[in-house]
Amino acid sequence: MLTKPSILVVENDAAMVNRCGRLLLSRGYKVRTAESSKEALHFVEKYRADVDIMLLSLELPDLGAMSVIEVLHRIKSRILVMAMSSECGEEAIEAIHAGAYDCIRKTFTNARFWTKMNRVMERFTLARHLEILKKERESVLAKDSCDEGTILTILDSMADMILVTDQKGNLILCNKAVVESGLLSGRRLGRPVEECLKNKDLVSFMMATLQSGQPGRPFGHHEVCLLETGDAKLRAHINPVINGDGVIVGSVALLHDMSQTDAMNQVKADFMSMVSHELKAPLSALLMQISVVVDGLAGDINAKQKDLLGKSKEKTKGMIALVNDLLDLRRIEEGKALLVIEPLDMGEILQRSVDLMSLSAQEENIRLEVNIADDLPLLSADRSGMQAIFVNLVSNAVKYTPSGGRVTVDLNMAGKFLRIKVADTGLGIEKADLEHIFDRFYRIKSEQTRSIGGSGLGLAIVKGIVDAHKGTIHLESEVGKGTMIIVSLPLEK
Amino acid sequence: MAGEKILLVDDDYDFCEATELLLQARGYDVTMAHDGEEGLEKVRSRQPDLVILDVMMPKMNGYDVCVVMKADPELSAIPVILLTAVGREMFKTSYTKQMGLMTEADDYIAKPVEPQELVERIEALLKEE
Ligand SMILES: Nc1ncnc2c1ncn2[C@@H]1O[C@H](COP(=O)(O)OP(=O)(O)O)[C@@H](O)[C@H]1O
Ligand SMILES: [Mg+2]
Repeated sequence: MLTKPSILVVENDAAMVNRCGRLLLSRGYKVRTAESSKEALHFVEKYRADVDIMLLSLELPDLGAMSVIEVLHRIKSRILVMAMSSECGEEAIEAIHAGAYDCIRKTFTNARFWTKMNRVMERFTLARHLEILKKERESVLAKDSCDEGTILTILDSMADMILVTDQKGNLILCNKAVVESGLLSGRRLGRPVEECLKNKDLVSFMMATLQSGQPGRPFGHHEVCLLETGDAKLRAHINPVINGDGVIVGSVALLHDMSQTDAMNQVKADFMSMVSHELKAPLSALLMQISVVVDGLAGDINAKQKDLLGKSKEKTKGMIALVNDLLDLRRIEEGKALLVIEPLDMGEILQRSVDLMSLSAQEENIRLEVNIADDLPLLSADRSGMQAIFVNLVSNAVKYTPSGGRVTVDLNMAGKFLRIKVADTGLGIEKADLEHIFDRFYRIKSEQTRSIGGSGLGLAIVKGIVDAHKGTIHLESEVGKGTMIIVSLPLEK
Repeated sequence: MAGEKILLVDDDYDFCEATELLLQARGYDVTMAHDGEEGLEKVRSRQPDLVILDVMMPKMNGYDVCVVMKADPELSAIPVILLTAVGREMFKTSYTKQMGLMTEADDYIAKPVEPQELVERIEALLKEE
């Protein structure tokens, strides 16, 4: 759509400016004014796109109208110049030579003004249409260079299989991966899919997609399913092909061979259970053995022995925490599949998680304050994930705050987000470390943190869980003052 | 403590040995078994007041032992604590909860367990009886 041209009136005679202005405004044109050629050029330089037509007096006092026309010409401006002169003599001809479109005598009648103006506006419209046509032609050319051959080559280089039908269900395109997979029963392109494809499920899914949008079927239905053909397991994404007018003109199936992905997942799962059993079983025994001895249940021990064993008990618990962290991280990295989403009372989970840590806060003489807003809505999320967020953030705050400090936890709503804010009056984090603390195993090494235990996995776990819930993390910290972390989780996905 | 009979079924001998000391110190009468089949046999022969069942064990796993016990009217009243290496004690994962429900275990504890925690859970279950 073309908008009305905007017009700059360059004239130092106020009466003339008024007259032009009133005429143009009466027909809804956008009008601006300049009193001198300098001002006009300044305006053009600053708002070039905002001037389409310039009504330019040839009787300006300063540099003169000619210099304006010359400058416009030099910068290849699209602005159309309508000169205005009392005489319309030599100077008018000169102006037109220099690039002005036309000249109008200042003693014009309204009718005369509009005849002249309409012509220049027509010219403006034509020029704009030409530009639009040129742009369209360029984009068509760009499309042309992506011809069918190019597209087929691109499709053939994909490892995944792709199949396309027209709206009648005839197979019209498939890539090399399809041919090599043995899915085809040898029929040529252009025949109905049921003749071309061996897999009946795939055929019926593709045909069903073509009916999407019809009564009883959601429009633009996207189907994801698992297909078994021979010994291959394929994950299929089947979609209708919808043209620019919203009409279904075919269906497209993208097939991914799962066999290899499955094998990898199996290795990972095996590793998981290996770690959990092979490490946790001996650690369980170790913890129990040490505890029993420390508590004197295996006979008396002296103070020195008790002290040493107490320390090895702590070390053992550190190792257990590390194994748990590793397993959590694995779980998160394996993705959402392992999250169990259920409506949760976050206030209750927060309170319980904080209870776990209130003792260590007390021992360190740290005030642990929890504010949970009333009437919080339930959040659909993974319970153990939420616990992990609370436990990690609050335990960090407590761990990295010297005794006598304060840790505040707020849980409330901010718009459509549930907001968890954990603030402490602790050590704070240097700018250089900020970008790394969510990395796995990253721990800040300083005189103050040396004696503090940890695996460097806590925040990586928090980040993983927050990402999986489509939430965000915001962190502010000042060295020596404290740290504040805000986690926002969307109520709706 | 009136010397209640506790059956501890776990394939880790070291864990059993230490846990036996813990439970004996609390006045319980402890018997041990080291795989699921032996465990089930001893449930029948000893009629314990409570069973602690490790999940991952040779021959018959803890879930199966628990399911058999809960299906047997003569054994179903005996409280069972499942010890699982999946998940962590702090976070009762939906998985462990589900397994607990499916097997009808009376409690489930993630390994490794703090001795004090184990004792408290045992006391709580025996008090219910
Ligand atoms: N509240 C905090 N105040 C100061 N430093 C923190 C805070 N939270 C985390 N950090 C820093 O970020 C690092 C990474 O944290 P995290 O991933 O939880 O690992 P861990 O606590 O096991 O060291 C910590 O080692 C610590 O140096
Ligand atoms: Mg931490």
